[in-house]
Amino acid sequence: MIVSIDWLSEFLEIKESPNELADILSNSGLEAELNEVPLSIPGVIIGKVESTEKHPDADKLKICIVNDGRQNHQVICGASNVNSGQMIPFATVGSILPGNLKIKKAKIRGVESDGMICSERELNISDEHEGIMVLPHGLPLGKDFMEAYGKKFLSLELDVTPNRPDAFSHQGVARDLACITDRKFSPVFTEPRKVKGNESLKITMESSEDCPRYIGGIIKGVSIGPSPDWLVDRLRSVGQRSINNIVDISNFVLMEMGHPTHIFDYDKLDNKEIYVRRANEDESLITLDEQKHKLKDNHLLITDGYNPIALAGIMGGLSTAVNEGTKNLLVESAYFNPVTIRKGAKDLSMSTDASKRYERGADPNGCDAAFWRVVSLIEDLTGGELVSDAIDVYVEKINKQKIAMRKEKLELVLGITIENEIISRIFDGLGIQNDFKDDNWTCLVPTYRPDITREIDLIEEVARIYGFENIPPDYSLNGIFRFDNPDPEKFLHYIRQTLVGLGFHQVYSNSLQNEKEAGLTNNKPVGMMNPLNKEMGFLRTSLIPGLIKAADMNIKNSNNQFRIFELGHVHLLSESSLNGVDERKLLSGLIIGNIISENVHTDLEAEDLFSVKGYLSSLFENKLSMRMELDIENEDLGFELSRSITLNKQKVGRMGRISTAWIDSMNLDLEEAYGFEIDLEPIKGMLENKKTFKKIVPYPKVMRDLNLVIPEEQEVGSILEIFHKYGKKLITRSEAVNVFKEKESIGEGVKSVTFSLTFQDPSKTLEDKDVNPIIDEIIRVAEKTFNAKLRV
Amino acid sequence: MSILEQIDSVRNSFLADIESFPTKSLEIDAIRSKYIGRKGQVAQLFSQLGKAGNDERPLLGQKLNQLKNELSQLFDEKLKQVHSNTQTSEDQKLDLSLPGRKNRIGSLHILEQTLGEIKEIYRSIGFHIAYGPEVDDDYHNFTALNIPEHHPARDMQDTFFINPETVLRTHTSNVQIHLMEEEDPPIRYIVPGRVYRNEAIGYKSYCLFHQVEGIYINEKVSFAELKGCLEYFVKQMFGPKKKMRFRPSYFPFTEPSAEVDIWDEKRNQWMEILGCGMVDPAVLKNVGYDPEKWHGYAFGMGVERIAMLKYEIDDIRNFYSGDIRVLEQFI
Repeated sequence: MIVSIDWLSEFLEIKESPNELADILSNSGLEAELNEVPLSIPGVIIGKVESTEKHPDADKLKICIVNDGRQNHQVICGASNVNSGQMIPFATVGSILPGNLKIKKAKIRGVESDGMICSERELNISDEHEGIMVLPHGLPLGKDFMEAYGKKFLSLELDVTPNRPDAFSHQGVARDLACITDRKFSPVFTEPRKVKGNESLKITMESSEDCPRYIGGIIKGVSIGPSPDWLVDRLRSVGQRSINNIVDISNFVLMEMGHPTHIFDYDKLDNKEIYVRRANEDESLITLDEQKHKLKDNHLLITDGYNPIALAGIMGGLSTAVNEGTKNLLVESAYFNPVTIRKGAKDLSMSTDASKRYERGADPNGCDAAFWRVVSLIEDLTGGELVSDAIDVYVEKINKQKIAMRKEKLELVLGITIENEIISRIFDGLGIQNDFKDDNWTCLVPTYRPDITREIDLIEEVARIYGFENIPPDYSLNGIFRFDNPDPEKFLHYIRQTLVGLGFHQVYSNSLQNEKEAGLTNNKPVGMMNPLNKEMGFLRTSLIPGLIKAADMNIKNSNNQFRIFELGHVHLLSESSLNGVDERKLLSGLIIGNIISENVHTDLEAEDLFSVKGYLSSLFENKLSMRMELDIENEDLGFELSRSITLNKQKVGRMGRISTAWIDSMNLDLEEAYGFEIDLEPIKGMLENKKTFKKIVPYPKVMRDLNLVIPEEQEVGSILEIFHKYGKKLITRSEAVNVFKEKESIGEGVKSVTFSLTFQDPSKTLEDKDVNPIIDEIIRVAEKTFNAKLRV
Repeated sequence: MSILEQIDSVRNSFLADIESFPTKSLEIDAIRSKYIGRKGQVAQLFSQLGKAGNDERPLLGQKLNQLKNELSQLFDEKLKQVHSNTQTSEDQKLDLSLPGRKNRIGSLHILEQTLGEIKEIYRSIGFHIAYGPEVDDDYHNFTALNIPEHHPARDMQDTFFINPETVLRTHTSNVQIHLMEEEDPPIRYIVPGRVYRNEAIGYKSYCLFHQVEGIYINEKVSFAELKGCLEYFVKQMFGPKKKMRFRPSYFPFTEPSAEVDIWDEKRNQWMEILGCGMVDPAVLKNVGYDPEKWHGYAFGMGVERIAMLKYEIDDIRNFYSGDIRVLEQFI
């Protein structure tokens, strides 16, 4: 909401600069920022247009003579609304307008121009730029524009939180400000007007819950016309355009006091009464903004007894709107139930100045003040006369709430002691009647503060006005020790750090995907009722599509060798889980390109499935001490050449070459990328396993190479099992270190594999006589089982 | 031979030996032990000093020391020469202006790093860490947090709905409720996690971000303690001189509520970094804690926002692009 500083000063004396005001308000709960209006515009003065004539060489330009109080200047102006006799903001040569625009002498189509007549936008007063700004008469000619007039438009932008309906008006903001600065606050007070007629009006509310109070009154004989300058300026200062005197008055009172009123053209009511009720299913109404709304039971209506004439608390109807021909008025000042208005406005996706205030809670006991303010202004400015009583239907009065606040509780919650006099002054300033007895405050809270209903709300008010900056921080550490695991996800740290050490970059990708991507895993993805757009309508079921996108993006930016991983959640539909959704933590990776970038020392070598195996083995076998097995996987979802990953005998995920089917279906282009995806839920328990120290064997190792020629299709892994089985527990390490295929030297259909074996006995130094028999036995078994031959 | 004569003879023999100084370290060591080692000739001469007469001894001692220094110095000089000679010949073949053998180095995501710092700071003042569901029911995300169904406060967070009763959580505050439902007070936790907002994507906002929620419940907990705790956080995170302020605000689940701003020297303005307040008695009541007995504070902060301020990142989308040009800046 925009708050004009000049307007605020009608309620209290303001001594602060606009910036100081913004700080004071921000520090007490009304977040405020200074609006764009500049504090001064050097060189811009009050001028008067003495005469205008058409530019000889341009249809749309005028040559104006502008009087600056001492002399006349010739100025070229392109605005259609410029006319002789107008007072205008005149930028003299040398002025610096907002945006650092310097005004210089210029020649426009051959005619000299000695300055500029400004629009509101050029002065940063508003966005208005159709035409020049026309000033009221009576301003001192030649005086500084900002000083003499423009400062009226200095304003603050307030971000009012939803609990503070009272702060949606100048009066409400001024009340807070007066309380904080401890100054006198003068609210609007208008005496009821005399009734100059004997008209009456029947007002009925179907439900006093939806509409607890309705005041209506009839005014006759208004003449619709432009508003006086002061009213136009007030509205202009809060960013509103003047429409006509009647509409302006209603808007002015809304901004001034915060209470919405509505003014009907009385003559346009088919039936001269007010009946407030819920809409019927097949009713409709065209509102002031010319939108037709289909209505239902959610919507509260003002009707004339038969037909709807307004959406209560949201917007008036078009058919009863005030316009140039209006003579007689019906003024409404009512209080509607916040929830009723909220439901209706939400349902129609409407949010108006009125609905915003009613939803948050208007003041039921402020209806009459606003009514009389509107009526007085109409009588004074438009010539109308009140011809009916203020008909006030208020079935059950909503009273001020009585709330107690314990001094002890205030001190406990805030951690400080505040003097009683200060507390009392704060309550007084906010309009809260208060009384202190037996260490307790008893308060009567005005109905314009519907947010204050409990002791804690009063404590907050005291703290807010007292100032959070005046509550000294307490640096003591209280509380108790706990003995459970301080971070249940600590284990993820080891996974992340290990992958980083292996050259992986961690990425975070969007959890929201389109239906196709989210459904690539053949799981039905969790969808949103109200997605942001089609591309983000579903929760991901795999991290691989996100990694593919990231990879594609990097390749398009000329980086085509990298390793990336993501640790994140996927969501699957599941009847048995909380809210029908199973949230799982996955670890996925993608690698592409060469293992080491092009360099002078080594040949290039591309990443492949063995790279993936190596990285996973470093992570799970070395770092996390698990046993990892890979098995052929028949299901090729997401990966080609897919292998299942088993850790400590539990199947946890898969690895392989990233599926071209997936890449294609995402319309991306990626070649020879490899990856893995692992579900971390089943291995959480294993990850927490404690490592224990194994004694270092003091006896030397014996190294032996064994070269076996085996059938080409024979898996090397099975032979390693023989070493394990027949090694008499003396083989501590066995690994294939070379695989060799060459028809000429070893024959067709076979391969030669060199195994490197390490022997070590924990209790003695091994000798040949210990090792040789084992090797002989292994060769014998290998020959028999795998048709292997020793290569010599 | 007198000792004086022996001194000359040792010197001469040493000079002859180092004339053609060897290059192999074994031979070099042999020369060293022959003359200036622990059992070398100089040491032997020193051991004869006892036999000399009292009047001779000071002079001889002086001469011997001279010899020892002279020999050591000459030996070191020769040694240095040898080293520099061999280095030069090897050096000529070595071009260390070529790049080193590099292994690729990975990186933790900057949000992970920032979250790690946040966790570390709160762990150091007694907070444990808890996690909770991203998809939750309306009750835990809103109602239990004192945000009734038809309340304007619901507009403060644009929500994704899975169905009318189930939402993608809009904050990690839902975990407050789960924790308090499951555990008896006192409790002290931070809760990191991913949250979702149905907001248009731009440089300042994304459809998801990461939050860290904090909650501390005990019999006596005050707003002054909350201020102390958050000041500790800000100064650990942004440096001990960082200017900050507490500004009253409104959250349905805390009362009084505050926002914390830090001063941004570059932009010359206050920047909001977190929301906080004393846990609203209504929330305590909803989870079955007696608000007369228990009090507490809670706070919530955006990890992205803190990282953006700390590392001067100007577009939130940088976090989710997977762009290695971004990632490798924070190795």
